[in-house]
Amino acid sequence: MTVAECPVCGYLAYPPRILCPNCGGNEWRKRLAGSGVVTEVTVRRPVFKRRQLPWGNWLDQEATRLAAVQSDVGVRIVARVPEGVEVGDRVALVQQGSTAIALPGHEVEAVPLGEEPAARVNPPLSDWPGRQEGE
Amino acid sequence: MSSGSEARIVGAGEATYERHPAVERRTETFIAESVVAALADAGVDHGEVDGFGVASFSLAPDHAVDLAWKLGLTVNWLMEDTNGGASGVNMLQHAVRAIEAGDAETIVLAAGDRMEKREFHLMTDRYNRVARDYLAPLPLNGPNALFAFLTERYSRAHGLEREDWACVPISQRAWATKNPGAVYRSPMTFEEYLDSVPIAPPLTRYDCVPIVSGGDAIVVTSAERAERLGGPSAGVRAIRSLYNPDQQDGDGINTGFAAIRDDLWAAAGVRPEDVEAAFIYDDYPVMVLVQLGDLGLIPEMDVKRYLHQTLGEEGWPMNTSGGQLSAGQAGAAGGLHGIVEATRQLRGEAGERQVDGLELALATGYGMVLYTHGASHNAAVLERHG
Repeated sequence: MTVAECPVCGYLAYPPRILCPNCGGNEWRKRLAGSGVVTEVTVRRPVFKRRQLPWGNWLDQEATRLAAVQSDVGVRIVARVPEGVEVGDRVALVQQGSTAIALPGHEVEAVPLGEEPAARVNPPLSDWPGRQEGE
Repeated sequence: MSSGSEARIVGAGEATYERHPAVERRTETFIAESVVAALADAGVDHGEVDGFGVASFSLAPDHAVDLAWKLGLTVNWLMEDTNGGASGVNMLQHAVRAIEAGDAETIVLAAGDRMEKREFHLMTDRYNRVARDYLAPLPLNGPNALFAFLTERYSRAHGLEREDWACVPISQRAWATKNPGAVYRSPMTFEEYLDSVPIAPPLTRYDCVPIVSGGDAIVVTSAERAERLGGPSAGVRAIRSLYNPDQQDGDGINTGFAAIRDDLWAAAGVRPEDVEAAFIYDDYPVMVLVQLGDLGLIPEMDVKRYLHQTLGEEGWPMNTSGGQLSAGQAGAAGGLHGIVEATRQLRGEAGERQVDGLELALATGYGMVLYTHGASHNAAVLERHG
């Protein structure tokens, strides 16, 4: 999968923004965020077991295994994970789904790799080069 | 104590929280009932209201002016707030300044939602564009999983186990036994908590708010008018707010509350240890601890001691209505729920659960998950007058 990178200051954003929170720039380029480390995992039970779709029929809801993933480039990603992926696992981050009307959204899925964790996050905004004082 | 604003909260009301309301009881029904109750509590006539603010997830396609019209209000000041759990404190912050500036003298602030399956899914799936496009398709089905992550993170940072987390819902439930308006009213044991149904582990049923329909409202007016009305009122010593402090880059357990803490207490002219009761936005126990900690109410950040001793053994008054965890979360009304309870306590109207001699209280708001955690933070220091 990819995240958005500000070409001026290097700030990384996922989901994408309009203006860069660091330098105010309004241009973005894609940056590969292909791997990361699982920091938390949960299995989410549906709040309601069944739900009604906008066109009226009912859908049975299932539990979903979800993880917070610290991507190696820095941003935190909320991802669906398969059975067997645990906290501390290295994972590949893959974009799944499309902007097609039937499946709106930008799903991401983590897949096990099995190496040691290594992560960093965007540092506080005040620590970024190019941050203007007195804002 | 000489700090504070020239505005007073003179009444509070709630539309009784319901789990499965009849079809004809709509969002506006609940909000209207809370407004009527708040005006009656304040002893203020409907015709004297000259300002109105409202927060709701399900008012659309109506807006504040539609609702004001349906409530028969003619006003000089009108506000609609969209900050969810932070909407109550935010509306209060604006209302106080409007009253001080003379733009209005008597403002009703209300919030509420009819929140059944359909409304709940509409709210969570279309919470914002990012939720709609990046979270709902996972499928996420509401914020439980995100707060499971924050709970895990906080447990690691402070060495907490399930037995420790139990203290938040159990202590609030103890208060809820004295609140006839709470949906959970029977005392909860450690065993009950530990055995409860997993929702998004480590979160179980009693870590998540019961979803209800309901409404909350308060009446805010000038100090001069409050004195004419007579009786006790809640004064506002200070309010501070912060939105988007970390652009969602942070870990969600070190929050904007820490950034507003010093300014809040300096403006209020008191210290955190002076606070005698707290009304903390409790969508999940982790956010209760995060707010108490970041605002300086947990001595030396000894979280375990605070949980077991202060909340447990001492029964220190925190969320004396039972909070949303026991009373229920009626959508955006959750953002006013704590202020309503604080007002009742400061006015000496809290019945069986009244905190004796209460003079100084803290009420907070938190909410609007943008991607991984809430972006809206605010806090009000309130004091008793009269």
